[in-house]
Amino acid sequence: MLFKIAFSGVRARWKDYLVLFSGIIMAAAIFYMFEAIALNKKFVASTTVGQNARAVFILGAVLLVIITLVYVFYANNFLMGMRKHDYGLFIMLGAKSTKISKLIAFETLIVGLVSTMVGVVAGMALTKIVSGFLVSALEIPVKYFQALYGPAVWVTLILFMVLFLIASFINARIFAKTPALKLLKAENQTDWKQPKTSRLLIQAVLGIFLLVVGYYAMYNIQSLKLNAIWIGLVTIVVGTYFIVNSFFVILLQKIQRSALNNRGINSFTIAQLKFRIRDYTKILSVVSLLFALALGAITVGVGFQSDIPEIANGQNAYAISATNPSAEISARIAKVGGKSTVNYQQKISGKTVYYRAGEFQQKPIKYAAFVMKGKNAGFSQVKTSSLNQLKNPDSSAYQQLVALQNPNLRAFKVKWVSDGVFNQLKGRVNQLQLVRVRDINSQYKSLKAVLEQQKKEFGPQVVQTMGESIVMYTMVKSAFASMEFMGVFLGIAFLAMLASCLMFKILSGAESDKVRFEMLNKIGTRRRVLRQSIMLQILGLFALPAILGLIDVGFGLQMFSQTHLLYHAYNTFMYSAIAFLVLYLIYYGVTVLIYQKIVIPKTRSEK
Amino acid sequence: MTTEIVNTQNLHKIYDQNSETPYEALKGISFTVNKGEFVGIMGASGSGKTTLLNILATLDKPTSGSVQIGGDDITQLTPNEMSDFRSKKLGFIFQDFNLLETLTVFENIALPLSLQNVKGSVSKEKVQRAASRLGIDQLLTKYPTQLSGGQKQRVAAARALVSDPSIIFGDEPTGALDSTNARELLDTLQQINQAGVSILLVTHDPFSASFCKRILFIKDGRIGEEIQIGNRNRTEFYQEILEKLGTFEQ
Repeated sequence: MLFKIAFSGVRARWKDYLVLFSGIIMAAAIFYMFEAIALNKKFVASTTVGQNARAVFILGAVLLVIITLVYVFYANNFLMGMRKHDYGLFIMLGAKSTKISKLIAFETLIVGLVSTMVGVVAGMALTKIVSGFLVSALEIPVKYFQALYGPAVWVTLILFMVLFLIASFINARIFAKTPALKLLKAENQTDWKQPKTSRLLIQAVLGIFLLVVGYYAMYNIQSLKLNAIWIGLVTIVVGTYFIVNSFFVILLQKIQRSALNNRGINSFTIAQLKFRIRDYTKILSVVSLLFALALGAITVGVGFQSDIPEIANGQNAYAISATNPSAEISARIAKVGGKSTVNYQQKISGKTVYYRAGEFQQKPIKYAAFVMKGKNAGFSQVKTSSLNQLKNPDSSAYQQLVALQNPNLRAFKVKWVSDGVFNQLKGRVNQLQLVRVRDINSQYKSLKAVLEQQKKEFGPQVVQTMGESIVMYTMVKSAFASMEFMGVFLGIAFLAMLASCLMFKILSGAESDKVRFEMLNKIGTRRRVLRQSIMLQILGLFALPAILGLIDVGFGLQMFSQTHLLYHAYNTFMYSAIAFLVLYLIYYGVTVLIYQKIVIPKTRSEK
Repeated sequence: MTTEIVNTQNLHKIYDQNSETPYEALKGISFTVNKGEFVGIMGASGSGKTTLLNILATLDKPTSGSVQIGGDDITQLTPNEMSDFRSKKLGFIFQDFNLLETLTVFENIALPLSLQNVKGSVSKEKVQRAASRLGIDQLLTKYPTQLSGGQKQRVAAARALVSDPSIIFGDEPTGALDSTNARELLDTLQQINQAGVSILLVTHDPFSASFCKRILFIKDGRIGEEIQIGNRNRTEFYQEILEKLGTFEQ
């Protein structure tokens, strides 16, 4: 009977339960998504940075467990908030508190189990969708990766079940120990206290100091090696917590004392924000770290992508080389856009390849270099070679020309002779056609078509050894593919996790805000003003971790640029940050809309 | 000569008008409140008190009839005009105080002024005046959680008073107070009224009602009876209210 009544309580508040369920489902789904990639050793090891990625995965797992813990804790509080009154009433009416304890423990477990299982299934679907999208959108082949991954299912289920088991014990204890009257009045109790300014100041200073230490450690990764990551992890986590807990409260207090506070319901908005930030300290700290990790992962992943054309162009100035191209190859070369072509005549005699010196004087050959250090580090440079330079077998120009010839000529010498001598040489005249493209990225498809035809005609092994830059391009692309996949995949997973957690945490507080907004409406606040206040409050909660996260990434990328792992990290940063913020803003917008729907009262006269 | 602050004519309110079971909460209510009056509206729960108050407060619209407050026909206002009307012309004191626990007492009282973008210095002076009138000028920097129930209700009263409204609406303002605090609040309301502020009090508590000068009894959506204190003292008026309630409720 009691069970039936309890269940009817759930039905009556299905909207609140929907928020609760969707929050846990999302958390479980994303945790699964992460584990599907982190636990898949075969996949991780297959990536070029598989070993280095381990630190990222440990860090990611730690943060995800923390945010899951924080979230489950919040979700449980939310659940208890809903149930305290109902169950308190049952006890009041004579139900035994031991029985109610069992009931609440049972309910907690059921809520946890159902939403975790749905979450795992949702996680598989998400994994499938996101990985499918990445593979097709980024044209990256991914090996060993699977959406349905057994170990990830178990880890997710076990973690969530343990967390909910603990939560159900705590809940049962609360009902067994708290007097019924207190349970009934639970909703009316608030514990807002004005924080001490001196304590806030100390925390703020300590927070900034710790962040600076963390950023400095990351900057000095060359000398600190792996220690930089551990130092950064600890100092940035603790520093962020202090900053959120103090710095922003102080900032808001400053605004509160300014004239700005007296306009409209600013005083209310700012006070709400101040009140909330203290309540949200834990979640905002974790969200800002996850934000940094997510954005960092995407930036690094995409950063490798932007290195590809430079590395390829630094390998050779010519994208395609073809000796006596077949009709098929010529037809495909014709389709390459934005190209310039140069032809050299070639004769082979003995173990020597002969060219017309005049041709090379008239149409000097180009060679490329990849700059490793200095101002232009990470960029390719193309230079024109004089004939004298070219004649030196140690020069880059000479070596790059050799690499462009037919692979069976590798061991041959190269000589430049006058037209007279060339004409007298026996043997047939070969045409060496070299194709340069302005933008290898945009011509990737047409260039690849040429390459495929070459593989068909000469065999893939032979083509693989050629010096044309498209060969390098495809090689680097597939090597970086899994890195990029991992980065973007994790980035999206983390973003979804942090934004969902933040969203559901904010929404779970909406119910208690209802009274405040109703009161403001009664004393004559316009609806537009109420809506603006909500937008501002939620913006504060979203912007705070975003700002901290952006700063974290700004400094964190030093780890990659200092170690020359990534050359264009900061260029990519701008684009990835914008894309990331757009997604983040969508979450913000949705949260604002739902929140406004919940709290802004519709007086009958306005219907 | 007396001026009317509130004038309602033939107010009807029907809920779920288009459903099979429409419910008529108000069945033609007409009354006036003059400037400087202290009027009580009494009735059992379900009698239509709250519906009436919500309509007067522009939180609800009547199905038919007219309501004038301070000369404005409030049934013709747009939503924004209603909000402005509430913030400028009306003061509210609710049963459960409705203070914002994240704001200090000062900020809570100043809120209606902020809504009208009153300048900081002017606002400060007005808050000080309202606070000292209610004897809470020592509490301005405190937060609501640091106050007793009686103090909280004084803050709410100060907030209702601060923008010099045409009329103050009290919705069971003593409902959550103990007898001492309730008495103090009612004394204060009486003083405020004597200083010229009109008050309309909705209550089912005869003791609270005895502080009014005139009482309207509502039953089943109609004004059943009306009594005035006249030249009697409060105790005698209280006795009459009790008697009326006894006969009225039957």
